[in-house]
Amino acid sequence: MTTITLVALAVALSAVAGGFAYFLPAAATALQETGVSANVPSPSPISVLFSPSPSPSPSAVSQGAFTVLLLGSDDDSKFSADHVLTQSMILVRVIPATKQVTMLSIPRDLYVPLSTGGSGKIDGAYSYGGAGAAIATVEQDFGVHIDDYIWVGLLGLIKVIDAIGGIDIVTSNPVMDDYYPADVFSNDPYGYQRIAVLAGPQHLDGIHAMEYVRSRHSDLQSDYGRSKRQQQVLQAIRAKAKLLAPSDVPALATAIGGELKTSFGLSTVAQLVPLAASFDNPDAIRQVLLLPPYARSGAPGGSLTPNWGLILPLVHQYFP
Amino acid sequence: MIAKFLLAVGLAILMAVTGVSSYVYLGSRQSKVVAPPQKPTAAAPRAQAYMLPGTVYLAQAGALYSYSAGRFHQLTPEVGWTQPALYPDGSHLLAVKRSAFYSDVYELTTYGGVVAQLTNNAAAPRNAWDTGANAWSFYPRLSPDQRTLWMSYDGPKIVGANYFDVDMAVWAVPVGAPIRSGRAWTVANSYTGGDMQPIVVPGGIIYTKYVYDQNGNRTGQLWFTNRAGAAGRALTSTDASCEQPSLSPDGGSLAMICTYQKQVSDLTIASWNGSSIGGLRTMISDQLVAQPTWAPDGSGIGYLAPGGPAAPFQLWFLPKNAYNPPPPPPVPTPSPSPGGPHNGPLPSPTPSPAPVAPVVKPIQVTTNLGFDATSPLAWSA
Repeated sequence: MTTITLVALAVALSAVAGGFAYFLPAAATALQETGVSANVPSPSPISVLFSPSPSPSPSAVSQGAFTVLLLGSDDDSKFSADHVLTQSMILVRVIPATKQVTMLSIPRDLYVPLSTGGSGKIDGAYSYGGAGAAIATVEQDFGVHIDDYIWVGLLGLIKVIDAIGGIDIVTSNPVMDDYYPADVFSNDPYGYQRIAVLAGPQHLDGIHAMEYVRSRHSDLQSDYGRSKRQQQVLQAIRAKAKLLAPSDVPALATAIGGELKTSFGLSTVAQLVPLAASFDNPDAIRQVLLLPPYARSGAPGGSLTPNWGLILPLVHQYFP
Repeated sequence: MIAKFLLAVGLAILMAVTGVSSYVYLGSRQSKVVAPPQKPTAAAPRAQAYMLPGTVYLAQAGALYSYSAGRFHQLTPEVGWTQPALYPDGSHLLAVKRSAFYSDVYELTTYGGVVAQLTNNAAAPRNAWDTGANAWSFYPRLSPDQRTLWMSYDGPKIVGANYFDVDMAVWAVPVGAPIRSGRAWTVANSYTGGDMQPIVVPGGIIYTKYVYDQNGNRTGQLWFTNRAGAAGRALTSTDASCEQPSLSPDGGSLAMICTYQKQVSDLTIASWNGSSIGGLRTMISDQLVAQPTWAPDGSGIGYLAPGGPAAPFQLWFLPKNAYNPPPPPPVPTPSPSPGGPHNGPLPSPTPSPAPVAPVVKPIQVTTNLGFDATSPLAWSA
C-alpha cells in the first residue's frame, strides 16, 4: 500500500469517525426510543358491541395511508413512570398520495370500555396497560386500525419546542388560569401557579407553548378547547420541523432523550421526515373535534358520555 | 524505522485533526432556525438598516429597548419588563413589570429608570395552595391629561367567587391612587380572557373584547365605549377577529390585526370618524403581523412580524405610500399640433395608459432579534 493511499484511507476513516461521533447521540436516542412496540391485547368482548376492529382497506393500503395515535401525558412526579394518564389523545390519518392529514382529538374524559377490562375515562387506558392498552382501547371503541403510536411527556413537549427554536402561534384569546398545575419544575407536584398567555400572534418557547396547550380552567369548552389548541401547536411544530437540517438532529435527539417513545422503526422515521416536509398545504390538514352532540357531560366522575351513533360514522368517514 | 515512526505520528495527528474537523464542520451546519435570538444591543447594525423616524420602544426577553437613529439601547435589565407606552407629552414611559404570579404598572424615565410604581397587585395567599389573590395589569395607557391610568386588570379577587374564571376588564384609575379609587369601564365576557389593550380616543376608549361566537369559538373584536359600565358596541365582526388597535396621529384611521379565526394575522386599516369605522382594508396578508403602530409623523406603520418562516418576531415598517399612494400625475391632454388649417377629421388621441402605482413593500428593519409580539410598540417623535 502506498503512502498516499494510506493517508487517503486515514483521512476518510477519521472523517467518517468524526461524523459518527457527531450523530452518535441521535443514533443512541433513536435506537432507544424508536421501535418501542406496543403490546396490544386482544379486544375485549364488549368491543364487538360497538364495532369490530377493521383491517385497513385495500385502497388505503395501496395509497400507503397509515394511522398514528399521538399520546401526550402529564409525566410529573405525581405519577410513577409508565403509569401516567394521557391528557391528550389524537388519532392522525396520513394519506401520502393525496398529502392529506386528518387529526381527530379524543376527549380525555370520554367514558369508554377499556381494553384492560371494565369502563373508565379513556385517559386511564395508558396508565393501566401502557401504549398497548391505549391503542387497543381506541381500536376496539372507535373501530379503527392503528399502525403506530408516538408518546410524549410534558417535558418532552417543552424540550422539543425549545430544541427547534420555538414556534409561531396565533392565540385566539388570552389564556388565563389561576390554578394551573405547577408540577413540572417544582418540588411540589400538587402546587399551582398563575399563567397569562396573551392573545395574538407570538413566538412561544417550550414552557409557554405547554401552558397554552395544557390550561383548561379558563375555557368554557374545557377539554375541547384544549384539544383545539393542541392541534394548533402540533401544526406549528410541523411547520418549524420542516426547516430543520440533518445537522440539527443530534441536538434535538439529546433534548428529547427519555421523553418520547414511538413504535416507528428507524427506517420508517427516515422515510417520514421527507414525507412530512412535503406536506405544505395547511388546508389539507383536517381537524376533527368530538364536540357535543358527539359527547355529552353526565357520565360517572365528571366524564363524558360518548354518542357512538354519531361518533362511529364520523370516525369511519375519515379513518376507513 | 524512524521514517515509519514519523509517518505513524503524522497519520495520527492528521486523523485527529480530520476527525475533529469533521465533527466541528457538521456542528457548524446546524440550521439557523434553532439559533436563539440575539440581544438587540449585540446585533451589529446593518449598513442598509432602515432609519425609522423618532424613537421606538420595544420589549424583548423581559427587557425594554429604545431604537433610534438605527441603534438599540437597553433601558432595563431582563426582569419581566414589557408593554411600554408613552406619556402623551413624551416625557416618560409607562411599562408593565411581570412576575410569576402578578404584574404591575410602573412609570419610567425614557432612559429606563423607575420613577414610581403605579399599581400594587401582589397579594398574600388566602388559603393553602391559593394563587388567586394576586392580580395582573396589562396594556397601560394614560389619558391625554396624564391624570388617568387605563389598563386591563383582572382584580379585585373575591373570596368564594368562581376562581377558574379569570377575565380582564378595562379599568380607569387616577394616577398614583390605589385600585379602589378606580373603576371598571367594561364588563368582560366570562371565560374569554376578557377585555384587553385599551387605547384612549377622543370621546372614549377602543379596546379588544374577547367573545364566544355563534359556533362557540373564542375570538377578538374591537369595541368602543364612551361611559364606564356602558355596554359599548362592537366595531368589527367576530368573523374578522380583529384586535390590537392603534389610532393614527391625525385621529382619522385605525390600524389593527385581523386573524379571521385562523393561524394568520393581517395588517388591516380602516377609517375612523370618532364613533364608527369604515370598511376594513387588508394591507399585508402574507405575514404574521403583530402590534401595528402608526409613526408619530404619519410616515408609515411599524409592526412586528417573523423574519422568516416560523421565526422570532422582528421590527418591520410599512411606508405610507403602501396604504395611501400619492395621486397619479395628471394625464396630459392632447393639444392641437401646430401648423396650418386641417381639413380632414381630427385624429382621435390615443389615451395613454394609466400610470401604475409602484408596489410599496414592507421594510424589514431588524434581523436575528426576537421581540415580544404581545408587547405594543411605543413610538415618540
